[in-house]
Amino acid sequence: MARRRKKNLGTNIAAILIAAFVALPLYWMVASAFKNQIDISSAAAVPPHPTTSNFSNAFSNYSFGTYLLNSAVVAVCTTVLVLALGTFAGYALARLPMRGKTAIMTALLMISLFPTIAVVAPLYLLLRDIGWLNSYQGLVLAYTALMLPFAIWILRNYFVGIPKAMEESARVDGAGPVRTVVQVILPQALPGVFTAGVFTFVAAWTEFIIALTLDNTDRYRTIPVGIALFGGQFTTPYGTIFAASAVAMLPIALLVLIFRRAVVSGLTSGAVKG
Amino acid sequence: MTVIDTPGRLDAGGRPRRRGELRRSSARLGWGFASPALLVIAAVMIFPIVFSIVMSFSHVNVTGNGFQLSGVTGRNYSILFGSPRYWHDLEFTVIYTLCTVVVEMILGTLIALVLERLTAARGWLMALLLMPWALITVVSADLWAYVYNGVYGVFDAIFNAVGVHDLNVLGTPTQAAIAMGVADVWKTTPFVAIMVLAGLVMLPGEVVEAARIDGANGWTIFWKVRLPLLRPALAVAVMFRILQAFGLFDLPYVLTHGGPGTSTESLALLGYRVLFNDLEFGPGAAVAASTAVIVLVVCLLFLKVFRTQVGEQED
Repeated sequence: MARRRKKNLGTNIAAILIAAFVALPLYWMVASAFKNQIDISSAAAVPPHPTTSNFSNAFSNYSFGTYLLNSAVVAVCTTVLVLALGTFAGYALARLPMRGKTAIMTALLMISLFPTIAVVAPLYLLLRDIGWLNSYQGLVLAYTALMLPFAIWILRNYFVGIPKAMEESARVDGAGPVRTVVQVILPQALPGVFTAGVFTFVAAWTEFIIALTLDNTDRYRTIPVGIALFGGQFTTPYGTIFAASAVAMLPIALLVLIFRRAVVSGLTSGAVKG
Repeated sequence: MTVIDTPGRLDAGGRPRRRGELRRSSARLGWGFASPALLVIAAVMIFPIVFSIVMSFSHVNVTGNGFQLSGVTGRNYSILFGSPRYWHDLEFTVIYTLCTVVVEMILGTLIALVLERLTAARGWLMALLLMPWALITVVSADLWAYVYNGVYGVFDAIFNAVGVHDLNVLGTPTQAAIAMGVADVWKTTPFVAIMVLAGLVMLPGEVVEAARIDGANGWTIFWKVRLPLLRPALAVAVMFRILQAFGLFDLPYVLTHGGPGTSTESLALLGYRVLFNDLEFGPGAAVAASTAVIVLVVCLLFLKVFRTQVGEQED
């Protein structure tokens, strides 16, 4: 028993070190968001004169409110579209007898891992030609295509694990294929849908290079681009940046906490079980 | 055997359907369900990739309202391959990718082993680990730029306290690359840890138990039994990380601006700068397309080697 206790002690110390490794930079970000203009240039661990002026500055002197709204609109629309399209595609690839399913799944995996730089220039030209630069729909379309492949992977892996008996009885009851998917399959695949949803939302919320390329006005700029362009050429307003960052982190942190299990199982089934 | 093959169903006309006909109609249904998603992906992801490759082999004339492609040429690639900057950026991206992925895999596996044995507060630690993963990369780049700042960064303050002065982390090529690697490791190791943990949890307990009964100690069990069994999970994590790291863009764009000089410039950053700052669409497309081809080849190699883990789809 003593040996076991010693083992636990070692594990707990290691766990505390890991937690510190992860949490300290995050703490530094939040603490710095509350430092005033003078203290931001000091390495004080606790803000000596805590202030909320950085937060009001982000909203009043910079257009952070607009960026927040833009990111929310784009991320929500992308997530809804990806889930709607991805659910049916994932179901078909899991259950229905189509030729070339292996090839499609392999291609989707490769596309989801492709460096985004390979698509930005043609995407820019494509969206410019249809007049969708600097618009919500342009970014939503790009993100939907970018994030669908991985979402289809996650969803398909969930559908494969659902017993077929349910669909059979729905079919016997005379439900059409669309109704079967929406009313019978979807409720059972809910954890998978949450996982795909959280992954898509996080990806859309954090994406940088496409947003940087497609939107060059403040009106449609999203948070990552907005924060990257804060400040002038010679000064970086770190207090304001971290105040904005802390606000931007909040919805994602809540989402991850609420759907923690779904995210972890997504990493499990989406990536490993394959 | 799929559900649609259930025999004895009647169609609208009351005739019993033949199996082949049923199969065909449900295959049609499958394509009907899948095609909206696949069309979007084809139009907005695959077409641009192909277009990048075409553009990289074309004369690109920039005109007032855009540009025109005319004629096939190898000029873009000869510009690229004749440029020391391209070779430097390729070398940097490859070395950076290999180093960060090796460190992430080792640290990630260690963290996963701790998580597996942890009894209290495991869920909370997992939630905490997901935070860097979900953080906007631009934000983490700003955060680390602040930490490394040569005038008031906490990093210098710590080193000053132990007697090391005048560090200029982001101003020295090797140190800047390492500093960026640390920021990368901080953000992505938790992701690796959770993927590896998933693999650990799925290991068959009996095998480890059998080794224990045979008198193997914990160390031997880890190296000889668990690690080999874990290989597929590790391989998938390695593939994900290598390919993501190879597209490195956000971090150098914000943290080091590719500098000092172009010492920490990744291929993606080079491609972006050539395309959108220099407006050299031909050579820019060549950077983008050649990066994509490298990723494609690495991906295919991985899939070939680990076919059984990643590729077995047909049921």
